[in-house]
Parts: sequence; structure tokens; C-alpha cells
Amino acid sequence: MTIRFDAQYTSKASSQIFTQNLKRASRLLGLIVATVLFSACEAAPVADLCGGRLGNNLESAMVETERRLGSGCEYRFDSYFKDNLATAEANPDTENKRLFSDHLLRVNDMGVISKRQARDLYNRYFNVKFVSLAGDYNTCSQTCPVQARVISDMKTELQDKELGLLRVSSDNASYYLADNLLKETQLVLAATCRACEAGTNAGR
Amino acid sequence: MHTQLPTGRLPGLAAVLLSTLAVCQPLYAEVAVTGAVGVSAGGASGPVMRLFPTTVLEDIRETGAVAEEMENGLQEVIHRLDLQQQLYTDSQCQGADGDEGCAQISKQIGSTYLEMLELMSDRLPTMEKAVNSTRLSLEKRLRKELGQRTTPSTLQDQLLGKSGSVAAAQANRPALRGRSGVRLSDRFKQYYQLVASNSEGPGGSLAVVASDIYLDMEEAAQLIAATQEEIARASLMEQLNQSFGVITPEMAAVVGGVKEILFGESISDLPIAEAPYQIGKSEFVSPLEY
Repeated sequence: MTIRFDAQYTSKASSQIFTQNLKRASRLLGLIVATVLFSACEAAPVADLCGGRLGNNLESAMVETERRLGSGCEYRFDSYFKDNLATAEANPDTENKRLFSDHLLRVNDMGVISKRQARDLYNRYFNVKFVSLAGDYNTCSQTCPVQARVISDMKTELQDKELGLLRVSSDNASYYLADNLLKETQLVLAATCRACEAGTNAGR
Repeated sequence: MHTQLPTGRLPGLAAVLLSTLAVCQPLYAEVAVTGAVGVSAGGASGPVMRLFPTTVLEDIRETGAVAEEMENGLQEVIHRLDLQQQLYTDSQCQGADGDEGCAQISKQIGSTYLEMLELMSDRLPTMEKAVNSTRLSLEKRLRKELGQRTTPSTLQDQLLGKSGSVAAAQANRPALRGRSGVRLSDRFKQYYQLVASNSEGPGGSLAVVASDIYLDMEEAAQLIAATQEEIARASLMEQLNQSFGVITPEMAAVVGGVKEILFGESISDLPIAEAPYQIGKSEFVSPLEY
């Protein structure tokens, strides 16, 4: 009796386990199929939308950039900007400065970058003045403590200005002026910061 | 223990002396007219920075007067040294140890060199006082006007100048510190023209001039102290050399260095000429521009 009951029980149990396994297997299969389908639907269009060349004409490249930025490719802004600089470098023109300014303003209007980012990018590449030397506190307190770093940053920025002003915009005069501004700033900061330091030491 | 005088030090000192001389007299004249020379911080209507008030100009004038005497004396001695050196070379005295005539020329050169050291020794204490006075007054002005009353952003505006275009800002810029290959007096004439012609001209230029003079003065103060230490030792050495009639390489190097500064013989560091600015093209100004 006991044995029979066990046999009955065992038979029922195996059937239940089999059914459960079948359900699990079908669920797993469904998940795999869904994943494959989902990844296939998701990856292929994004790669097509955000990647690929922007074109050799600067104006149309900028239009294409803005189209992509408006279609979920905001995260690629930096690389688009560099690509556009490279395109402009291959087609130097005094008008390029204006094209970049307008482009940055439109990208700002789209909400991809902030006004400050737009301003900093434009000025870093296309203005004589240095973004690295900015601030609203006095020179003694703001710049002198980090004088070496400021000068180093300005030197790096001058390389960007060489690209933006000289190679992209053919604006030699502005580039040389920026170069001179860096030299003069080095001299004036050296003297001013030494004077600030002497004053601080005297005050102690 | 003494410090060794490198060949570059004496020229550096001479540069300071001459520079002070050249800039001093015109600036003094300016004092009488304007009382002070300043920099407009933000264009003609902005606050005027007084980097060169009367006290600073008076200090520079005094330093220049001392330097003038020193320069005149040095020039004459250097000219004599030149002639003696030429005679020594023309007579093929190099290596002619036993020749009495050559020994005589060597002694004359050594004697003139001693004279140069003595001349400097006499003038240096007065020079030191004047240089320190100028340095301290400029230091105070720089700290106040450029260090405390200027932000990094406005500093750029001043250096670029707000009054003109790119071309205008490029004009009238003085050469920066270092060997420019031109006579020092000419370089400081440029400084003077900048300071004296218009106190509200290209804004940054006066800041550059003030910084340049201040750093020169600071360097000079250190050089004077080192030179004073060195002169006693050099004099003693040369007095000993007089017994043997030796022209040392140090002597030749020091004299050569002084000449380089006085007459601007080195032209290797001239800046590369810039491309001319194209007149007639209107400059694009972005709304993003600072």
C-alpha cells in the first residue's frame, strides 16, 4: 500500500516537474527570441543614424550634424564638432568663423549644449581672447595662485586657436595677436604676481 | 666664499642700466606735463590705471641719471678694450708667451679691465639704491592696479586694447624682454613713445612696459648684489694677473657680453615677421564673443 501510494505520488510528481520545466524552457526561449529581436531592432538604426560621415561641405555637414543631434545623437556632439573642424580645415575660409558661430547658436537653441558651452567653444577656437584666462575676482587672488597652470592652459588653447583662426578661418592677424597676447600675459602675470607675493610677504 | 660671475650677468646689469637711462629722460618730461601716465582699463571712458604716477617717474629719472654716468664710462672703457684687443689680435700675440710687446698689450688690457671693474664698483652703491627705489614703487603700483583692481578678464581687455581694431592693437607694441637685436636705447625709446604719446592709447602696452621695467629692476637688484661681491674678487685676481700679463677667457666673455647689450650686435632672436593685416575687410563679430 505504501509502495503503491509512493508510485502514484512519484508518477504525479514527475509529470508536474516535466510541465514546469517545459514552461520554464518556453519562457527562456521566448526571452531569448525577444532579446534577439529587440537588439536587432534597436542597434541597427542607431548605428546608421549617429554614425557615418557628415560630408565634405561644411555647411551641409553642419545641417546633417544638427539633424542627427535632433534625433537622439546628442552624446556625439563633441565628435561631430571635431569632424566639422576637420572639414573646415580642409576648406579654409574667412566665412567659416561665422558658420561655426551660427551652428553653435542653433545647437544651443536645440538644447544640446548650454549657452556657456557654446560661448566657451566659440571663443576657444575663434576668438583672440583666452577662455583659460577668465574670472571675476582680482588677479592677485584668482590667477596668481595657479599662475603656472593658467599659462599652461593658455598654451594649449593657443593650439586650438591655431586650428580655429589660422587653419580654419585663415585669420592670420588674429592668430598672431593671440600669440602675442599670450606672451604679454606671461610677462605681465610674472611681474604682477611677484608684486602680489611681495605684498603678501610684507603684510605677514 | 665668493660667487662666480657668469658672463651673462654683466650684460644683464648693463641692460638694466641702459634701459633705465633711455626711458628716464622722456618720462621725466612727461611728468611736467601730465603729472602721471596711466592706462585706460576699459577704453577711453573706463577707469584710468595709474601705473606711472609722478613718484615712479621720479624714481626712474633718478635711476636713469645714475645709469647714464655709468653707461658713458663703460662705453669709453669698452671702446678702449676693443682697440687693445684688436691690437693684440693683429700682432698675432695669441700663444706668443715670450714676446715682450705682447705681454705689454696684455697688461694694458688687464689694466683697462680693472678700470672697468673699479668704475662699476664706484657707481654700484648709488645705482643699487636707485634701482631698489624704482623697483619698490613699481611693485606697489603693479600690485594695486593690475593685481587688485583688475580681473583676469579685464587684464586681457587691457592688453588687447579696446580702442582699435586688430591692426591698431598690433601697432606701437614694444619689443618684449630679452635680446631683441636692437640697441637697448632704441627699445626704450619705443617704450617712451608709447608712454608719452598718449596715456589712453593701446591699453595693455603700459602694463607691459611697467611689468618689463619692474622685472628688469628686480633682476638688476640681484645682479648688483652679486656683482658687488664679485668685483672685489675679480679685482684681486686681475691684480695678480697683471704680474703675468694674462688675458683670461672670462675677461673676454664679460667684455663681449657688455658690448652685445650696448650695441645690440646679436640678431639671432629677432621675431619672425607677421603677415600684414588686410585692410578693408570688415571683421566678423560673433554674438558668442566675449
